[in-house]
Amino acid sequence: MFLPFFYQLRDQGIPISLRHVLEFYQAMEKGLALDLDRLFILMRLIFVKKVEHFDGFEQAFAAYFLGAEGGELPKFSQQAWEEKAFRRWLEEEMAKGSLPDDSLERLSLPELLQRFWDVVMEQRGKHRGGHTWVGTDGTSAFGHSGADREGIRVHGDSLHGSALKVIESRRYVDYATSATLRAENLRQVLAALKHMAPAGPLTELDVDETIDRSCRNGGEIELVFKRELRDRIQVIVLLDNGGASMRPYLDLVKLVFGLMRDHFKDLDYYYFHNCVYGCVYSDQKRLTPYFIHHLVRRDPETRVIIIGDANMAPTELMLSNGAMDYFSKIRVPGRDWLVQIRNHFAHSVWLNPIPRSRWPRESQTIYQIGEIFPMEDLTLTGIRRGVEWLNSGAPPKRARGQLAVGS
Amino acid sequence: MQFLGTDKYYLNPELKEIVNISTAMEKPLLVTGEAGTGKTQLAFEIARALDLTLEEARCKSTFKGEELCYVYDTVLRLNDSRFGTGESGRDVNDIWDYLGFGPIGRALLAEDRRVLLLDEIDKTDSDTQDNLLDVLEDASFIIREINHKVKAKRMPITIITSNAKRELSDPFLRRCYCHHIPFPSMEEMTEIIRLHYPEISAPLMDSALAIFYHLRQQGFEKPPATAELLDWLGALQLDDAKPPITPDKIPFLGTLLKRTQDLLQHKGVKRENV
Repeated sequence: MFLPFFYQLRDQGIPISLRHVLEFYQAMEKGLALDLDRLFILMRLIFVKKVEHFDGFEQAFAAYFLGAEGGELPKFSQQAWEEKAFRRWLEEEMAKGSLPDDSLERLSLPELLQRFWDVVMEQRGKHRGGHTWVGTDGTSAFGHSGADREGIRVHGDSLHGSALKVIESRRYVDYATSATLRAENLRQVLAALKHMAPAGPLTELDVDETIDRSCRNGGEIELVFKRELRDRIQVIVLLDNGGASMRPYLDLVKLVFGLMRDHFKDLDYYYFHNCVYGCVYSDQKRLTPYFIHHLVRRDPETRVIIIGDANMAPTELMLSNGAMDYFSKIRVPGRDWLVQIRNHFAHSVWLNPIPRSRWPRESQTIYQIGEIFPMEDLTLTGIRRGVEWLNSGAPPKRARGQLAVGS
Repeated sequence: MQFLGTDKYYLNPELKEIVNISTAMEKPLLVTGEAGTGKTQLAFEIARALDLTLEEARCKSTFKGEELCYVYDTVLRLNDSRFGTGESGRDVNDIWDYLGFGPIGRALLAEDRRVLLLDEIDKTDSDTQDNLLDVLEDASFIIREINHKVKAKRMPITIITSNAKRELSDPFLRRCYCHHIPFPSMEEMTEIIRLHYPEISAPLMDSALAIFYHLRQQGFEKPPATAELLDWLGALQLDDAKPPITPDKIPFLGTLLKRTQDLLQHKGVKRENV
């Protein structure tokens, strides 16, 4: 039962597994879906784990159970309620006499639907409707008078803001638009980046050491405490936010940077334009400088992530007066500044939004900077490898067949 | 066992159903949502309504997960082995005398069904959450020191809250039922206020609500939430404030806006209006 619906959920990008489907059947056995509203809530609880999937789920549910097409919810009018399964059930019921002939006048459509639903739930094995329980085509009007009711709830006011009402309000549409599959995977990758170090007060009892010392002491107990291991990771992100060359990658960089900012408690970020000369900037407009000689006095254990396309005129990188800013008094080539940063921070990596395959064609400066910093691209693999670089300070094993920078 | 809400807590019908489903399915319920939407309160109210004991774990970033289940007091045992147990009645040879149980441990060991609240789970790091996975999954944990498995007698009703500051791992989410509490609509808010201040005058409430929802739309860093609104209304009533309240002269603004930046922004907005 409902199997096509489960595939529709997958089409909506909601990761459901067999385990969830079985759990759903279990819940049905327990009789937890007494009506359409409860079914809606139950399914959502079982299948949807993230708020960004809510909207997709609601649309799939509406399409499957309420007959909405293409994710668009129609205005439910009286005429919209003719569906084969429902009609056949109604005819059978009337033929059997279990529903009196005048029930169409006496009962409201919601009541009829509720009865229909009850029956369906009772004999769920025998269900033989189409894809939708309640269709939208057809013209004959069921239910009692009242020509102009706008929208209809699946059954009266008996319970909850009914499923349809909930769906119509589309409370979760914002979450759906702001999420991508990439964001999710990325979070897991970033979670791997940590730096465990003994920290904090001496609170953890070192049992081995205590026993050892106590024995040496002739049984006189000597307690030995140590610091516990904690994640002490500090991250500095240097972001190239200038120039037209970065513009095509703006969304991608925003996404990655946004996630990093959320993920790490201890994260500082600075901006630069194309290459680093003497200072980076703490504001986006690059007005407040933060000097490199300050930067390289920071804890060398700090992880440094540079995000930039490394795509510049070779003179900018190599010449002593190469700085883009004409008023700059700095006479040290960009390359030297980068080397200085790299030498201080052993755990540093350059993430390049340009796909790796295009590096050799884009600019020779990519190759030159790639010799200073380990460089990866902003794909999931690239970032995962970048995280490995940052964790170990040493190159991760390169998958066979993957090209080195510039080769 | 049905949870129907209590006299002090407005229960959204949808949420009521969710609580009952997860109770019936014996699944932990993860509640997310803005601060001040009553996530934590939910667990207290369930415990009160169903007359069950509440076991409460307020998570800290230093938690490893295990101490929520049990703590083995090595120091005390060492001390006892050296200086004797005295009058305490402890037996140095019996490790059980040196095991203390955390909220999860107590909830699982209890004869009666308990409500277990894991508050602000997102504060713990992902390792801790992973450690808690198995515990939540089959309601059991292992006391490593003696390799003893503690299994739940009665499955507790588990409520987990998260401010979603940081993401929870996918495996963790898979094992829970997740519900995001949306911010209450104006009608629901009216209900909530009535529960707390049954005697509030309608004009005061209307004008207060209008200002409240207006403030929420200003894009503040910390927009005022239900808890702030209730505090504010309390203050207004004590002060005998007379409606209508106008946006440019809000009494007790500090109860609504907590951040300096927000306060400044609010004042800035006003200046532009003038």
